Amino acid sequence: MSDHPVRAHRRITLPLKQARVQRWVGVAVLVTLLLLSPLYLNQSPYQMGVVTGAFFYAILASSWSLLAGVAGQFSFAHMALAGIGAYSAGLLGRDLGTSPLTGIIAGTLAAGFVGLVIGLLCLRLRAAYLALFTIAFSEIVRIILLTEFQYTEGTNGLQLAPLYEGITPLAEYYVTLGLLLVSMAVMYWISSSRFGLFLRAMREDQEAAAAMGVNVVRYKVLIFVVTSLIVGLAGAVFYHQVRIITPNTMEILQMSLIIAMAVIGGMESLLGAAIGAFLSRISLELLREINILGIHIELGAWRYAAFGLLLMFTLRFAQNGLLYPIIDRLFMRRVREETVSARAQTAEVEP
Amino acid sequence: MIELEVRGVYKNFGGLQALNDVSFQVRGPELIGLIGPNGAGKTTLTNVLDGIHKPTGGQVWFNGERIDGFPPYEIARRGIGRTFQVTRAFRRMTVLENLLVPAMAMHPTARQRSFRDKAMEVLRFLTMEHLAKEYARALSGGQQKLLELGRLLMLDPDIIILDEPFAGVHPKLMEIIYEYITTINAQDKAFLIISHDMDTIFTLSQRLLVLDFGTLIADGDPTAVRNDPAVIEAYLGEDEEERKDA
Repeated sequence: MSDHPVRAHRRITLPLKQARVQRWVGVAVLVTLLLLSPLYLNQSPYQMGVVTGAFFYAILASSWSLLAGVAGQFSFAHMALAGIGAYSAGLLGRDLGTSPLTGIIAGTLAAGFVGLVIGLLCLRLRAAYLALFTIAFSEIVRIILLTEFQYTEGTNGLQLAPLYEGITPLAEYYVTLGLLLVSMAVMYWISSSRFGLFLRAMREDQEAAAAMGVNVVRYKVLIFVVTSLIVGLAGAVFYHQVRIITPNTMEILQMSLIIAMAVIGGMESLLGAAIGAFLSRISLELLREINILGIHIELGAWRYAAFGLLLMFTLRFAQNGLLYPIIDRLFMRRVREETVSARAQTAEVEP
Repeated sequence: MIELEVRGVYKNFGGLQALNDVSFQVRGPELIGLIGPNGAGKTTLTNVLDGIHKPTGGQVWFNGERIDGFPPYEIARRGIGRTFQVTRAFRRMTVLENLLVPAMAMHPTARQRSFRDKAMEVLRFLTMEHLAKEYARALSGGQQKLLELGRLLMLDPDIIILDEPFAGVHPKLMEIIYEYITTINAQDKAFLIISHDMDTIFTLSQRLLVLDFGTLIADGDPTAVRNDPAVIEAYLGEDEEERKDA
């Protein structure tokens, strides 16, 4: 610490500003790339669809990261909740003739309500018990949708109307990108707020958090509701773009993919999980068939095996994920450290 | 005026009676030691006081309000804070964040920034200001105990329950904890301290409670308690057959 208080003050606050600028520049570059990428992708509706799908997976993975990585609630119900959002919207549109927008709002609320019920039922469940409970819940939802085919169309899938007549792949791209950016902003706001601080304390030790005055019941239920609303909204919007949803989308394999994507990106990092999901989804698509030295190879299901190997590698050697340490080093670490300490250190050196 | 009243509290775990008709009062900023052999029910009693366990029978009153059955966070907000026998810092959070949790929970509308200065003051008091940015998991066991004490300062309760604050702690840190207790006690805070460190607890306490097999067998001045035959028997032990006969 310098003898001169003003000089010390400057030395501490300047890196904080620089780090914040660095972070926002990074975010701006990323967003600009995503906004401009249709210029390249527009040549191929297929590629546009793949990237749009990757945005959907990024929302699911980052919201799962908020629920499991930040709040410590290891749930397997995410895909089921996205499905509930989509099926609610689709059924309302088909049977009551509601507009997609009304259906999306209703689907989002339906997923939020189910999230509330799960949160209340799981209050005393932790770790493996919570995971098993939510797996059972997801399977029940899937089986109901599969067997009640007179309402849900079963394996044939439920048709959903487009978001609006004549919507283009480009518009769908921007709608989903917008949804991703808004949901990321909301989740970042939550994780950096008082709510996020309490969630992390609860993740570490619920009893100790309660002994420090944290209403763990309220926040546990609340995080289930918030993440359920996000995935319900994402599911309803995305499957209106895909135009069909089947119960298979809620298979445990699909949920496992979301979790694997989040873990590879960095389970405790919303951005890491989102980027992990985005890149994983695109990689899985690129790996459908490859050309090596002129030899054409169709990988089919083997690409999932490769993905599984990558997951095993991550869990064994990089438990913070493969992407998070890079993101942390580039943009976050200094901001976090300085944000936490600058105020107090400044107070210490100010006359 | 702090007033805690434990009235005939029982706590059973299945067939095991962990607390048996325990009654005592805390009036004002007393510094009370709670001792007893292993399995005497000391930690169970603290768990009842802070709401982790609901008593099987009896009542707990705090400042004129019946609090048994309240969830732990409600009891914490009313002014009873505690540490745990095995340190329970929020390990993957920084030291400063650990301190912000109770402050933010106690003041739901206040901004996080307003507590940072207070948190740094607390860390300075605990000689830990240089560790503010460290993750709690990087701290030694003794430093984690200090961190728990720091969290209590941020919670600012009327009664502080410390479960084995001196266990496994370096003598230097022990001095800091000792100073912490006496300084905070002088600020009109009551303490209920569980410890197996007899020398320290007899020196520190103004009053001693002794539990044995869930029953409060002594409550009084440390000197009187030290010479109480029931306490001596509980600590030195007695023949198992004699106990059964009794």
